[in-house]
Amino acid sequence: MPPGALSRERDVREAYAAHAGELYGFAVRSLGDSGLAEEAVQEAFLRAWRAGARFDPQLGSLRTWLFAILRNVVIDLGRARASRPIVAEGGIEPTVEPFEEALLSWQVEEAMRRIGEQHRRVLVETYYRGRPYAEVAKELGVPEGTVKSRVYYGLRALRVALEEIGYDD
Amino acid sequence: MTTERCREWRESLGAHALGQLPEEERAALEAHLAGCPECRAELEALAGVARLLPLADREHFDTAPTPPLSLGDRVATAIRGEQRALRRRRLRLGLAFSGATAAVAAAVLAIFVLPGGSGAGPEQRVAFGSLPPGLHIGATLEPHAFGTEIHMYVKGAPSGTLCRVFLRGPDGARMPAGSFRYRWGDDADAVLSAALDLSRTQAIGVQVGNRTFVAPVESSDTA
Repeated sequence: MPPGALSRERDVREAYAAHAGELYGFAVRSLGDSGLAEEAVQEAFLRAWRAGARFDPQLGSLRTWLFAILRNVVIDLGRARASRPIVAEGGIEPTVEPFEEALLSWQVEEAMRRIGEQHRRVLVETYYRGRPYAEVAKELGVPEGTVKSRVYYGLRALRVALEEIGYDD
Repeated sequence: MTTERCREWRESLGAHALGQLPEEERAALEAHLAGCPECRAELEALAGVARLLPLADREHFDTAPTPPLSLGDRVATAIRGEQRALRRRRLRLGLAFSGATAAVAAAVLAIFVLPGGSGAGPEQRVAFGSLPPGLHIGATLEPHAFGTEIHMYVKGAPSGTLCRVFLRGPDGARMPAGSFRYRWGDDADAVLSAALDLSRTQAIGVQVGNRTFVAPVESSDTA
């Protein structure tokens, strides 16, 4: 058994303390239901514990491994919820595509939560609300050049945050 | 392309990546970009992030949903349930394969693998009759030098119900055999023991919550 393997109950408790918040946040985002999300996270940790001996920290982070397990759980839950019959051979798997999209959405939102308030604010005002720089600058009481500069550093910070949470372009 | 000139333009790259630069400024920046591979690379990196922004919903920027506190406990409980079931399966396998002779292994397997079999060995399966609807109780008793080993199975009681098990001797006295809690979703037997020889045991009883159920045991002393 590799060192760091997730085979004891205590290991799972530690993994839960470190990652359950993120996993749950993502599960809510992709399933759109907090009850289902709880079910998914519980099942993911149970599967992680069952397969714990196979986790090798040398091959990748615990976080990445747990997200991969949760991905399978979410897909299984999606399948179980779909009332339509199983897709015929060669058909397109109906739940994978929305999953990847949900993962990306969650990653960007999580990255936004991680960057500084000043950076997030200018991105929300100028990009999401489409407000002119001059107006935002006046409201914040800073020169227009500062808004532009914050947009630049905000995008850079967002890029770093995305890398931290496993976004891989 | 000097560092100084780049610094001048750098901070416009974010606005440019988001398509927010006024026309004249954009034209001037593009003239600089044409001759500056470093700034072009920086713009490319920012554009990669900018392309993702439409996927996010700004309603979710301020707070992330947090899991209820009880979820951690539920995960721990589910894992402990599986651990218990696993230990018992291992114990059964251990009993089955550590026997010195094939006959012993066969007798044990008859009980644990083929619960319908009567078993040629000394173990006894006990049936609890007249149980309330929905409640199931079963037990297997196994003689040992120390007394009697009891594998008890309860299903259908409220989760968390305390179950106390006892054996009754020839004089009618109770010999306690321990207790366990019935949990929903845990279908493993509870393994208990009592310091009363199986050959002298008249009955087995279990108190499930506030009700007590007793089943007779075929005692070899009286048979």
